[in-house]
Amino acid sequence: MILTPNILARLVAIVVGGVILQLSLFSQVTLFGVSPDLLPALVVVFGLLGGSLTGAVCGFWVGFLLDCLLIVPLGGGSLVFLAVGYLAGAFRERFEIHSALVAPLLCMGLTLFAELGFGAVEMMLGFDAPVSSLIVRDILLKSVFAFVGGWAIYVGVRRALRPALVDERSLRRSGRRPSVLGA
Amino acid sequence: MYRKQVRRRRAVLALLIVGSFALLTVTYGQGSNGMQRGVSTVFSPIQSVADRALKPARDLINWFDETFDAKGRNARLHSELETTRKQAVGAQAALAENEQLHKLLKLDEGGAIPGGYTLVTGRVIARSPTVWFADVTIDVGSGDGVEVKDPVVNGDGLVGRVSAVTGGTARVTLIADHESAVAAKIVPGGDQGVMKPSVGNPDDLILEFLSSEKRVGKGQSVVTSGWRGQVVASGYPPNLPIGEVVEASLLEQEAQSQVHIRPFADLRDLDVVQVLTGGSRG
Repeated sequence: MILTPNILARLVAIVVGGVILQLSLFSQVTLFGVSPDLLPALVVVFGLLGGSLTGAVCGFWVGFLLDCLLIVPLGGGSLVFLAVGYLAGAFRERFEIHSALVAPLLCMGLTLFAELGFGAVEMMLGFDAPVSSLIVRDILLKSVFAFVGGWAIYVGVRRALRPALVDERSLRRSGRRPSVLGA
Repeated sequence: MYRKQVRRRRAVLALLIVGSFALLTVTYGQGSNGMQRGVSTVFSPIQSVADRALKPARDLINWFDETFDAKGRNARLHSELETTRKQAVGAQAALAENEQLHKLLKLDEGGAIPGGYTLVTGRVIARSPTVWFADVTIDVGSGDGVEVKDPVVNGDGLVGRVSAVTGGTARVTLIADHESAVAAKIVPGGDQGVMKPSVGNPDDLILEFLSSEKRVGKGQSVVTSGWRGQVVASGYPPNLPIGEVVEASLLEQEAQSQVHIRPFADLRDLDVVQVLTGGSRG
């Protein structure tokens, strides 16, 4: 990803807009009894488009803003989301991606990872309450929502950041159709 | 060149990880800090506008969800209706008795909210997205008189307690959060215990440490006990409605001294809440 002031401003707008949309809309609606959590999917998309470093940095700031707005101890969200962004970016850097299903599947898998990560952070900080088995259903449903939402987020964010994407530039110059992730 | 890039990348990554742990260490246990107050001051007006603007979208999505849910509920409600009809007859008699007692004791007409508290009304503007903690952010804060540990209710009953405040917002830790523990009693009967959540299922609260000698029955109501000792006191005023007993098996009562409660307030769908400011806190 080629970072210019314009692209940086877009990244900030997407991060802020994404966090506010999550807190004001998705966290307050229920589908099949569960609120969708699309922030891990957003961070996965940053990692897929920009690589591990961009993914980790964006993940850190998404977590930071989330913790600030929820007035919870800072650092927990940053830690989880930077790991999510880094893993998504590392996947993109190590593997050739040809299928359109890769982005949503990664969103699904890493949402599962993020939910378990939040659980681990809570355990680390002290957790003294019984856990309902329904939590497994909730986590799995959140991952399914991330699969559905991940593709739309990927298409939207890629469109917003298109001028900064290295693959897109070289493809436009060579006149070939984009094959990566097929969107 | 490549090595330099790799080294720089590793350095940034290490910095972020160390930064996260440092933030966690420094801010853990604090209600709110200067950084959060600053960010909250900037973003709370945006959140309020977004919350109002997105309400129709939220209502639409929730309507779809409720329609799916309604089919299943219909059958259950039919059987509940029959039971409720029988109870209504008994309740009418109890109501008459209650009115007499009210007159005798000269209690307030409102009853549930104890005297000495001022009610501050707020709206939920954000909700934590993970399943591991149950927090909401409301659009009233220290500027409106809200303080940490203030109880929060809605029209149905107890919702939670303020756990952090900024100038214009406050974090409410719901009674379904793993950090929550409420001293509660069963009415009628007066058997007391501590109510804790079952994390991941906000419709299931567990009332522990009950006296195993008294039998608790399904359908009995649970209210805050609001006990007060010489040194410590419950953080909640007495008699705030919490929920009703939905599962009270003999085995669980004898072996674990606990029963299951469904909260009156729908903790997944909170909109307008009231903070009980002033009064005495534990």
